[in-house]
Amino acid sequence: MNPERPKLSPAQVSEFLRQIAHTRDHEVDCGTCIEFIGEFAEKKLTGCELDTALASIEHHLSLCPECTEEYLALKKILEAAR
Amino acid sequence: MESLRSPNRVEQADAMKSLGEILIKGLRVALGGRPDVSESHLEDFAQDGLLRVLDKLDQFQGRSLFTTWAQSVTLNTAFAELRRKRWRDVSLDALIEQGEHLAEPSTLPDDALGAGEDQSRVVGALRKAIAEELTPKQRAAILAELGGMPFDQVCSLLDTSRNAGYKLLHDARRALKRHLEEAGIKGSDIQTAFTS
Repeated sequence: MNPERPKLSPAQVSEFLRQIAHTRDHEVDCGTCIEFIGEFAEKKLTGCELDTALASIEHHLSLCPECTEEYLALKKILEAAR
Repeated sequence: MESLRSPNRVEQADAMKSLGEILIKGLRVALGGRPDVSESHLEDFAQDGLLRVLDKLDQFQGRSLFTTWAQSVTLNTAFAELRRKRWRDVSLDALIEQGEHLAEPSTLPDDALGAGEDQSRVVGALRKAIAEELTPKQRAAILAELGGMPFDQVCSLLDTSRNAGYKLLHDARRALKRHLEEAGIKGSDIQTAFTS
């Protein structure tokens, strides 16, 4: 982030619009995401079908870079342990 | 997991030691090799993670393996610390001040999505929506996050929890989406026409 004069790049504006387009009236927050992320990661790794609660976690991940970063790290650990 | 609650101190200590070893092994896989993470950091993260796991034991619902849950708690703790260190010099005043520029052409130029009448119309409507619908905190949070600032740090500067911060952004996105839709720009149009 430029501390002097912010100017959004085309990629940033596209990402912003993508987030707006993906917005739902009801979304889970980061706390709920972290609560379910272990189950979500295990099911994704084994190819199990996601129920409604876990589908909402997947949606949250599409909008939250921090939770995605933590999910990818957990996935890496689970993959290494297989 | 039961051993972590054992009244037998020796059994509990053994369980903590075993879990600590599992956590640091996972942290080495997940964070090893990062330039901002040393072996000493990994040990600190494992220790902090272990304490947080013990503190949250009653919240484990058995929906995943216990070790998977413990790793997720530890990663959450470790990433929060890494993000805090990386952005500790940014002030709230600077964040709010920059957010005030979000609806300006200098920050969001007409050609931000490329040259073209449709693109300019979307950007113009977005600027109007930002100016009319969002609070200064929402503008600041959006600009900071788009600029790469970790959300934990945005929330910390705004003196709010991550959950409340997420709601702040969610409310902002909903308001912008509604405003754009009222201007004839639907979410599906944005996705197909302007995102890759």
